[in-house]
Amino acid sequence: MASAMGKSLNLILLLKHPSTRIVVVPKNCKGYPVISFSNCCSSFSRRLHQQNQQLQQLLFGSKYSTTASAGGSASRDSNSSTSYYKKHLEMGDEELMRQCEMDTFKASGPGGQHRNKRESAVRLKHLPTGIIAQAVEDRSQHMNRASALLRLRTLLALRVRNSVDLESYSPPKELLQILPPKSTLRGSDCGPQIGPNNSKFVLGMQALLDLIFAVEGSVSQAAKLLGLSTGALSRLLLSHDSLRMAVNDLRASKGMKPLK
Amino acid sequence: MRPSLARVYRIKSFTLIFQHKPSFVAANHHQRTPIYFSSLSSSCPNLQIRKPQTPLFLRAASYSATLPDLKKWHQWATSLASSVGSTLVDLDNGPDSTLLLRELNWLIQDSFQDHHNSFIPQLPTTEFTRTRVDSQVVKLRVGLDELYRLWRQRVEERRPFQYIVGCEHWRDLVLSVEDGVLVPRPETELIVDLVSNVLLKESNRGLRDGLWADLGTGSGALAIAIGRLLGKHGRVIATDLSPVAVAVATFNVQRYALQDVVDVRQGSWFEPLKDLEGKLGGIISNPPYIPSNHISGLQAEVGRHEPRLALDGGFNGMDDLLHICNGAASFLKPAGFFAFETNGLEQCKFLVDYMDRNIKGSICNVSIVSDFAGIPRFVTGFRQ
Repeated sequence: MASAMGKSLNLILLLKHPSTRIVVVPKNCKGYPVISFSNCCSSFSRRLHQQNQQLQQLLFGSKYSTTASAGGSASRDSNSSTSYYKKHLEMGDEELMRQCEMDTFKASGPGGQHRNKRESAVRLKHLPTGIIAQAVEDRSQHMNRASALLRLRTLLALRVRNSVDLESYSPPKELLQILPPKSTLRGSDCGPQIGPNNSKFVLGMQALLDLIFAVEGSVSQAAKLLGLSTGALSRLLLSHDSLRMAVNDLRASKGMKPLK
Repeated sequence: MRPSLARVYRIKSFTLIFQHKPSFVAANHHQRTPIYFSSLSSSCPNLQIRKPQTPLFLRAASYSATLPDLKKWHQWATSLASSVGSTLVDLDNGPDSTLLLRELNWLIQDSFQDHHNSFIPQLPTTEFTRTRVDSQVVKLRVGLDELYRLWRQRVEERRPFQYIVGCEHWRDLVLSVEDGVLVPRPETELIVDLVSNVLLKESNRGLRDGLWADLGTGSGALAIAIGRLLGKHGRVIATDLSPVAVAVATFNVQRYALQDVVDVRQGSWFEPLKDLEGKLGGIISNPPYIPSNHISGLQAEVGRHEPRLALDGGFNGMDDLLHICNGAASFLKPAGFFAFETNGLEQCKFLVDYMDRNIKGSICNVSIVSDFAGIPRFVTGFRQ
């Protein structure tokens, strides 16, 4: 279990979304924030997971030792190549996978039939950005790969910033799609609002964070540019754990109060 | 829960046979498998009609225990797992405490009924909440005694975790397994991706509705995963010598409602496919490939508990691979695909060399594919 990690890092536990548990740890040794997720992917075994996940969490302490950490310098100074970084999230799974180095934490040894260790952990390193996502909580390697990839997408959205021209800003479609219907900029062609469980949500989340960073954390200014009231945008930002934390980290760095 | 008499008898007879196998292998190298089969079926005929065990997670939650009792069990199980440290890693590359603790959580996952709403975190301090928690009863799929017994078996007897819970999560499948059936390995998951890539190619469209064979299917893992990739008319025949494997694979096929797609047949390698020479669109196999003299040094979970029939590949581990390789040349139809799992680089090279020397005219596009750990693991190719 992750108890050792928990003890040493002073975990703050947030249980908000039923399928997502996010643990925020202030900084790792390199000074980069480290986020640990536990987010199962949709499948037969997801149901199995959900059955007991919360129960075990509550009864026996932290169940998973899953970490996903962002490292490397590429993600820090990515503003110069806007379209390039946006593309990662638009890629299909196979394409994104090709940009990754996959490591299965296997110790040396012949493996295969020799070994029965249930080591199904998967670590993906996204080579262009250096972002690492990993998953160990699932019982099959295939499922862990899917979880790690999902986690990588979230991390890309959270960590990779594209520059925004505020003078002539108009929200991209993927952002409009995650806005509540009351946004005045949202045309009928946007369809129903996309929620966090939709795989397209991360694209909108990335664009939303791009804007929030461009306006230096001011929710009211961002709300104006999105045709929303400040309250409505706040509610959207608070609806997703990692989104809220990314915004609050930024606000904290600017000496602003966190959104609650 | 409690094994029936018949079941105890079966396991014993299996063990007996396996113990006899080494000398047997040495004496009858080339025809090991068929003889082994006949000896098996004649010595314990009731294996033919055996009923597979129900995995823990599919059983009814007809047991219960109080929360404090469960916590006590959990504490005991945790300390038993923790006491292992890295001693087993040093001993025979067995599991360490971290892995055992993860398995303990999976055991809980499989044996507790979905009940989290009635569980309360470890915060009760007032008398009122303490009484409430203490009187809470948790529904279980096994009795508390059995939970103690199972975990002791896991740690002290090194019984594979998958046999404890009766299932293995493999790709997006949850497959039933039990003593006598090889637990499908994560490496083998990749064969499904290899087949999937072949089927996606436009030039291979015909294979999607073709006839495939999974030789030595064990739990049925490959046959089921590939059965789900095929088109409307695609079929898989899964063969296995072991009646236990046939029963378990059949159970798994039924659980995924693939009875019309996957046909499980008992027999050695190509034997149950006699009428299908030159007709198969694809052959996949993870045959036994461990050299006989490596068996005694295996991790206890594997060497002591998993079926030797599924592991021992003879003197250099190549006996069955070569047999299958020869068969593939005659059973595949033109442009048919094959993928075989091997022990590593040495066997991959051996197999490729062998094909080059002996069946060069009938096989093409042979390649060696590495597993996720970077070990050359699979040999793939096409019938010309």
